[in-house]
Parts: sequence; C-alpha cells; structure tokens
Amino acid sequence: MVNLLTRAVMMSTPLFLGALAEVFAERTGMMVCAIEGVFLIGAWGGFIGAYITGSLFVGLLIAMACGMAMAAVYGVITVYMKQHQVVTGTALNILAAGICAFFQRVLFGIPTSPLQITTLPKIAIPLLSKIPFLGPIFFNQNILTYLAYVLIPISIFVLFKTSLGLTLRSTGENPEAVDVAGINVNRVRFLAVLFAGAVSGLAGSFYTVGYLGMFTTSIIGGRGWIAFAICFLGNWNPKGVVLGTLAFGLADAIAIYIQAVSGSTIFPNELIIALPYILTILLTIFRKNFNVPAKLGVPYAKES
Amino acid sequence: MKGRFNVLYFNIGAVVVGLIISASMLLFMQINPLSVGGEAIRKIFTDHYTTGEIFVKATPLIFTSLAFAFTYKANLYNIGAQGQFYAGSIAAIALSLWLGDVLPTVLVILVVLAGSAAAGAAVGGLIGLAKAKFHANEFLVSMMSTYVVKALMDYLLRTGLQETKAEYLQTDAISKNAYLPNIVSGTRIHLGFVLAIVTAVLIWVLLYKTPLGFRIRAVGYNHNAAELGGIRTGRIFTVAFLIAGGLAGMAGLTEINGVQHMLLQDFNASIGSFGIGIAILANGNPIGCIFASILFGFLNVMGTTMGRLPGLSIPASIIDLIEGIVMICVIMSYFLRGYVQSSMEKKRMKKAGA
Repeated sequence: MVNLLTRAVMMSTPLFLGALAEVFAERTGMMVCAIEGVFLIGAWGGFIGAYITGSLFVGLLIAMACGMAMAAVYGVITVYMKQHQVVTGTALNILAAGICAFFQRVLFGIPTSPLQITTLPKIAIPLLSKIPFLGPIFFNQNILTYLAYVLIPISIFVLFKTSLGLTLRSTGENPEAVDVAGINVNRVRFLAVLFAGAVSGLAGSFYTVGYLGMFTTSIIGGRGWIAFAICFLGNWNPKGVVLGTLAFGLADAIAIYIQAVSGSTIFPNELIIALPYILTILLTIFRKNFNVPAKLGVPYAKES
Repeated sequence: MKGRFNVLYFNIGAVVVGLIISASMLLFMQINPLSVGGEAIRKIFTDHYTTGEIFVKATPLIFTSLAFAFTYKANLYNIGAQGQFYAGSIAAIALSLWLGDVLPTVLVILVVLAGSAAAGAAVGGLIGLAKAKFHANEFLVSMMSTYVVKALMDYLLRTGLQETKAEYLQTDAISKNAYLPNIVSGTRIHLGFVLAIVTAVLIWVLLYKTPLGFRIRAVGYNHNAAELGGIRTGRIFTVAFLIAGGLAGMAGLTEINGVQHMLLQDFNASIGSFGIGIAILANGNPIGCIFASILFGFLNVMGTTMGRLPGLSIPASIIDLIEGIVMICVIMSYFLRGYVQSSMEKKRMKKAGA
C-alpha cells in the first residue's frame, strides 16, 4: 500500500510539472500542443546531457534547454506567424520523435548493450520522512518531486496575487485590453510558451534521469497529452492540477500493481489504463463551470 | 487564390525546401545525401515491389487525412483518427475471422467495409454528439478517445481475439478468402487503393456539390452566421464527425484485409498523426489528400529503403525526421504566402492611391 502510494506520487511528478507549464501558457491563450514532443525531447536531452557529462544536474539543464528550443520554434510559428496551434503541435511532435531517434543514432551508433545512466537519488527528508505512513510516501522522493511541491504554492501565488499573474491571465481573456495598457501581447505569449517549454522539458527528463535511467523513443507514450488534459480538467488552476495529477498518478500505479499481482488474467487491467482517459472525456462533457481562457488558441492580430 | 499565389506553388516549394533540409541532416552521419538519396530513389523505381509500396503506404493515409480534412472544413478538429481507425480495424478483423470462410469474397469485403466504417463512425459520432449536445471540446475528446479505443483493442488482443496459440498479442491470420484482391501483380497494391481514391473523389463531391457539403462549409466559415441562416449547427457537428469517423474506420478494412491480414498491438501507430499533416499539406482539399498521401507514402518508403542500404546504418526513424521537417516547412509556407500576398496588396493599394 505504502509502495503503491509512493509510486503514485512519483508518477504524478512529471504530469504535474507538465500540466502546470500548460496552465501558465494556456492562461495567456496559448495551447502548447507540442507538449508531447517537448516531453520527449526533454527526456532525450536529459539523458544525453547526463550520459555525456556524467552530471545529472547538467542533464536537467540540457533537458530544459531542449524543451525551450522546441517551444521557441512552436512559439515563433504560432505567435508570430499566427499559424494554427493544433496543426503546428502535431508537426513538432512528429519532428521531435525523428530528432531524438536520429541523433541518438548519430551520437551513439548502435550500442551493443543499452546505454544506462544512474538516476536521481531518492532524498529522505530528515524528520518528515519518519512520519508514519505519510513520511515514506511524500518525503522519500527525488529532487524533482520536491521541486513540484515547492511550485504548488509559488504558482498559485504568482498566478493570482501578482501583477505578472494578472498580465498573464488578461492576455488570455482580453488581449486588446492588455495591448491598450501598453503591454506587448505577442511577447507575453511567446515568453509564456518558452517558460512552459523549459518546465515541460524538465518534466520529460523525469522519465529518463529521474526514473528509468535509459532512453527509448516510446518513453513518453502519450503522457505529454495526459498533462495537456490535466490542465483542462484542473480548470486552468494549479489546485485543480494537483488533484488531477494525483488521480492520474494513482491510476498509473494501480495499473502497474495489478499487472504485477495478477499476471495476465482476464481482469481487464486495460480498463484501469483507460480509466483516466474515460474520466477526462466524461468530465469534459459534463462539467459546466469550465473556466476556459476566452482567447485560448486564437492568435492576436493588432488592428492596423 | 489564383496565379502567383496559388497554394500549390508554395506547397511544392515548401516540400522541396523541407527535403533539402532533411537531406542535409545526413551530413551529421558523414554520409553524402546526394549519392545515398540517388541510390535509394534508383532502388525504389527499379524494383516494382518497392515502387508499389508507395501506394500501399499511401492507402490508409488517404483515409486518415480525409478524416481530419472533412471535419476541418467545418472548423472542427478531429485528431482522433487513430482511434477511429483502431475501431474500424477491430470490426474488420472480427468480421473477417467470423465470416472469412463462410461467405464468398465479394460479400465478405462488403460486410467488412460496412462494419469497419460503422465502427469508426460510431466512435466519431459520439465525439460529434458530445460537441453538439454538451459543447465539449472536440479536440480533447477526440484525442482521449484514441487511448480508450487502444485500451479496448489491447484487451481484446489479450482475450477474445487472441491467436489460438495464445503466444503473442495478435489475432489469427484471416482466411485468404477475405483478402482484398491484389490489383498489380508483383506488388502488394490492393483494391483498397482504388477504394481510397474513389472515396476521396466522393468526399470532394459531397463537400463542394451537395447541400450537406455547403452546410458543413458554411458552419466552418462562421457557425453563428450559419445558425442564423437556419442551419442546425449541432446536427452538422455530429454528421461531420460521423462521416470523418467512418472514413478513418475504412482504413481498418484496407490494412487488415489488404496488407497485414491480422491485427496486432500498436498496429500502424502513427497513421493518425500523419493524416493530420497530410490534410494540412493538402489544405483540407480531398483531392489534394490523395497526392499528399502518395508523397508521404513515398517519403515513408524512401526512409525504409535508405535504412536498408548496406553499411550505412541510417535509422528508419529518419522518416519521422523528414516528415516532421517537411510539415514545418509547409506550415511556414502558409505564413509566407499570406505575407507576400498582403504586401503585394498594399503596394497595389498605394499605386492606386497615388
């Protein structure tokens, strides 16, 4: 049970980081539809960074840089060239898969044994990790999970209590007003996308640097999209995102657990794998009080 | 849209630029792109089997790109063609295994065609209904539906539909009687390719020559205006998704009965997302989808052929790299075209003013 929940918290971490990044971008009206690709290139960047330099920290930095580079391409095309976000995202997701697989081969050829890196160590927080039951679940995780904990209050504060947050939110709701106030709408959106790229790249690197210690092109397998969906379900609010990620993380952990315990019996393990997606669909359909940023996905054209 | 600003010129230019950029990526592997590319192209066109593969690969892409293009005309985003294709594949394999030896070939194919289209349409229709009745975000719902259908497919591959040997996660092969007939000997090109072209033409007629098509496009241009004009937009949303789902489902027939003859895990896992890129390259035009699909079919074969050239170890993943770069170039070309067009317009206005 404790193992299961520890694992759930662990698997929630990258989803949380990705969804939070998406919240910040979408609040300004930008859906980062390239998130799946950003996750992948972050995972790859983190891996090669750590493998080549031998330093996990450098790996994480490179993951953020890779995520940011991909987001920059996305931002230039969608913000400044005003092309469609869904379409651009799809193209970049395919491109990311190609880049990772191709340059993996360029750099390493065909290795005889799979390349391995050591993963981020688990850090047990003194005292806190000794709390019965909760301690090992929440306070014996790696550094990225702790970063996620810290980001929860900070993101809520920045988004709702600061003028920066107000600017971000207004850009998604009423860009004309932001423009009139003398703030460059496109610059705000572009920077928000860059920020989202850096954080999502970090989220992606969790799967290589923080968890598996190796890289395959199928390592993300749709988890970027889950983060994307969590942002919607969490109502574009960091609090909602926390609940959403825990639910998805738990489902992930339970699916792995049941597979381990029951082997492959007729129990529809797939149902649990599909449950988060079904839940997403039902919630999208039946929830009425969605707080969609008014200009989500709409490019801003200044009237001339 | 005419003359110098024809989308086609810009698209072709973008594809050429994309191919040049992709080719230069080979320099990273210390490979001369010209000689290797030439070698691959020579292989593709001297070997009939390989030439045929272009059309074999293009067939399902025509369907999935139509599935995106069709809803795109109604300003809806169906990014769940992969799931609708899986639904069609499940129906196709189940019906083929069941009826493959019972009915004559013509009837089997017709039943499977109807079944796979219906299965895809059911998934698509539900998405459209969610959009129409509950104003659900069709983009998110269609994306999530793919994962649900994939989970269902994995479950069936492990239980009801698993092969008799129960070793791998795949079905038994279907009876030869249920195969889509081959149309060019020495290749794998099957009747599904003809079906795909006929379907694309029919979809073009439906969109541009019928009242329903007019309504769909009207909703796409401005759904509020369409609503005021007496078009029931909710119904159009549902119908557009129903048809799009059916189109993607039909790829199930062509891939199961035409190529693979069985269903396996992660079956054709990326034709859904390629379909989106193709539809964009074709600017949503059904006839354009045929040619763009053949281009992607060619790129696909090009990638595998280069991967098989001895002694170079070019990864097959270069396909994704090429296709991704080409797609980005095409998207940028739409911007460039708009930019050139508007600056020419401005110049003309100035001249007229002076």
